Amino acid sequence: MGNVMSASFAPECTELKHEYDNCFNQWYSEKFLKGLSMENECSKQWYAYTTCVESALVKQGIKPALEAAQKEAPFENGGESSESK
Amino acid sequence: MVLWYHNTHIYNKDFQTVSLAFFNRYPNPYASHVLSIDTISRDFSSNGNLSTTRLIRKTGRLPEWVRPFLGGISESWIIEKSEVDSNRKELRTYTRNLDHTRIIQVEEFTTYTYDNDAGVTKASSAVKFSSGFNLAIRNRIEKWSHNRFDENVKRSRMGMAFVMEKLEQRRHPC
Repeated sequence: MGNVMSASFAPECTELKHEYDNCFNQWYSEKFLKGLSMENECSKQWYAYTTCVESALVKQGIKPALEAAQKEAPFENGGESSESK
Repeated sequence: MVLWYHNTHIYNKDFQTVSLAFFNRYPNPYASHVLSIDTISRDFSSNGNLSTTRLIRKTGRLPEWVRPFLGGISESWIIEKSEVDSNRKELRTYTRNLDHTRIIQVEEFTTYTYDNDAGVTKASSAVKFSSGFNLAIRNRIEKWSHNRFDENVKRSRMGMAFVMEKLEQRRHPC
């Protein structure tokens, strides 16, 4: 992909994010969509990036709201019928 | 009061281009208010769909009259969840704001489906605005959000179209 990519909220993770996103884009287009791969082949980049993000997130006040939202399953009830808290 | 907004749009592109553009839609010239986007989790659901959660940070562009309620707040966090079904060529997405939810909560459900016969990808969106404020201020907030939403939808489509062009240029460099 190269070119301009979006930043991480944590500047120290942006480079790792770009490496992961590049790998993901390639895997997504060339393998996943073609039904050729059912496993994440970017685990090395993913581990480095996500470790960085996790430790940066701890310093952000948004973490509890994010964790609560991660437990929601918006697709399971078709969306429109869901009553959000 | 809860407001719903519905909308559909046809992208004259294949599913690969549209779904890849969704994952890479920032940055683009029509979304300068988006500061960052991070992938928080990504795995396969039991039926083989690719399931992703991302965290987006935006600068708020709120009207003057809400500022007293918000104090100095000018940024907000958005959670985005998505699922890709590669067999059916369908992408389902959901976004909502994580903070300021007492003032207003905006939830967007969009489904991108590839139409094999027509060779196009259709996007159907449903957006829900809700607020926990008292009625007078709530109506004002919700009406304002709704009005601005039309503009946002237009800009986000222009952003997606911009990213798709870029992706296609890379796939078929001339």
